[in-house]
Amino acid sequence: MFTELNSILNTSPESFTPGEFILLSDRQSDASFLIHHFLSFYLKARCKVCFVALVQSFSHYHAVSQRLGVSLTQAKEKGQLIFLEGLKESLSVFLPQEENAGHQAMSFLRDPAAGLRSLYEFVQSSVVESSGGGGASAEQWGPPVLLMDDVSVLLSLGVRVGAVLDFSHYCRTTVCSQLQGNVVMLVRCDGEAEEDDADDEGSEQLMRGLTHQSCLTLHVQGLPTGYCRDIHGQVEFCWKKRQSDGQHAPKKVFQFKVHDKGVSFFARGTSRAVL
Amino acid sequence: MLGNAPSFTMLSELLQGTDVGGFLLIQDSCSYSGRHLLKSFIDAALNREEVVHVLGLDVSEEELKEGLKSFVFQRLHFHDAYADPLGWTDNSPFTVHQFSSSRLTELLKQTAPSKPATLVIDSLSWVLRHISPTAVCHTLQQLKKGGAVRTIIGLLHEDMHSRGIVGSVCRLATSVITVEPGTKGEEALAKITKRSKSGKVTQDEQIFSIRKDLTVTVLSKPTNPGHKRSTTEEQVDPTANLTFNLRLTDAEREAKEKLALPFVFSKEKKTALLHSGPGSGKILYEPDASDDYDQEDPDDDLDV
Repeated sequence: MFTELNSILNTSPESFTPGEFILLSDRQSDASFLIHHFLSFYLKARCKVCFVALVQSFSHYHAVSQRLGVSLTQAKEKGQLIFLEGLKESLSVFLPQEENAGHQAMSFLRDPAAGLRSLYEFVQSSVVESSGGGGASAEQWGPPVLLMDDVSVLLSLGVRVGAVLDFSHYCRTTVCSQLQGNVVMLVRCDGEAEEDDADDEGSEQLMRGLTHQSCLTLHVQGLPTGYCRDIHGQVEFCWKKRQSDGQHAPKKVFQFKVHDKGVSFFARGTSRAVL
Repeated sequence: MLGNAPSFTMLSELLQGTDVGGFLLIQDSCSYSGRHLLKSFIDAALNREEVVHVLGLDVSEEELKEGLKSFVFQRLHFHDAYADPLGWTDNSPFTVHQFSSSRLTELLKQTAPSKPATLVIDSLSWVLRHISPTAVCHTLQQLKKGGAVRTIIGLLHEDMHSRGIVGSVCRLATSVITVEPGTKGEEALAKITKRSKSGKVTQDEQIFSIRKDLTVTVLSKPTNPGHKRSTTEEQVDPTANLTFNLRLTDAEREAKEKLALPFVFSKEKKTALLHSGPGSGKILYEPDASDDYDQEDPDDDLDV
């Protein structure tokens, strides 16, 4: 969890706006540090977290979270974290000798054209359980949170853009509207921004569709002037709704540098290396 | 600009909702959401004591009603296609595949049998993702002609569809408002195209802002220099602020053309050089008798 980012977003684990759909996106840069931020943020906020990890293994996220002061294994044992390890699950879809718990979350791999209903049902069951059934031993957790890293992988697995948007819509209705939780999704664009609309089915269109659904977007880009050792890129914050104090702040841009255990944000041109 | 500039701003005219049986389309993109303007239209219609039906696909009931005054809710009917538009959770009052004129007319008549109502669709992009554009256009056209609907107001995310689909939906609309982010703060730019029944097309651009109570303030007309500046900023003229002059006036051009360049060998120069005036030096050479000058071989005397 990066405190500087919290102050930019005007939130803290003690008080954050529920019912938000937050979209993280990157272009020719890496926004995964934001996923780690939100993962540790919501775990510290005592939310029930459902994490759909499609690009990295559990041990990777565990190692990074430990540096940020959160233990994923503990959270998993306590039942706070439900972790879907896409890399492992997808293998067990094709090699079904393991008698797993038998959730069909990744069964869309066999027939990508059918859509992501199975994955949605996994998400729904894991978030609804949390708010509905408070077992005797289980601790009481806050509103549910769905994190996904990253949704554009689904396109590579053969799922259509429309199907991913349907899936995200259902996640939004269930988690944000019904249960007043939050959804955080990461989407990657590798192409140039000026690219034509020629390839209709692509990560560009997915990002546009998700941007329409979201109420806050954090877009990470490399510096337009190229690589720099002291500034790793810039983040554009876009709020769709008016803030609670009635102020309408549609856009803010900060430059950032990722450190070993944190990230520093600064206004454009005010890097310590420059001043 | 086609036709004369309207004396009244077109945006506020549209908000007053004078045309019956129309189809108003609000187009937006990622950079600026048209939902605020859509809500302003809903608010305006409710304030006119009209019955408004909202088909919500992209927006939840709470989100839509946020900002609207609660005493008008009895005239606002929200049809929830947001919670379960595809029937995945089996509690859907309306799925996207039921998007047909007969089903929609039925929905409208359930609650408002007497007066034609305003139908708001948020958003058409959701429908177009699942139903073929021809079927959607057919439905919209039938609703327009049907009589059960006073006005249709639709929201379309234009960057989600190919240009052809956006074009065919726009063709059906009597008025199209395309919203874009403005140059500063809360301002936004609306490009309005309006087709009247006679076939006359009027176009206009206006800068507006929406206040918290959803009232729309039109800030300026397109002739405003402030707006002009924003368009010229996009294509910067590199020859604007030069320290030297790139172009010539007529007088300068004349002077330039009169001037003879130093190394051009004009006729005057040639004669001046060949017949130099008096007083200048001349070389006269008279060959001696002893000079054995051979015309054939001038270098004959050299010992080579």
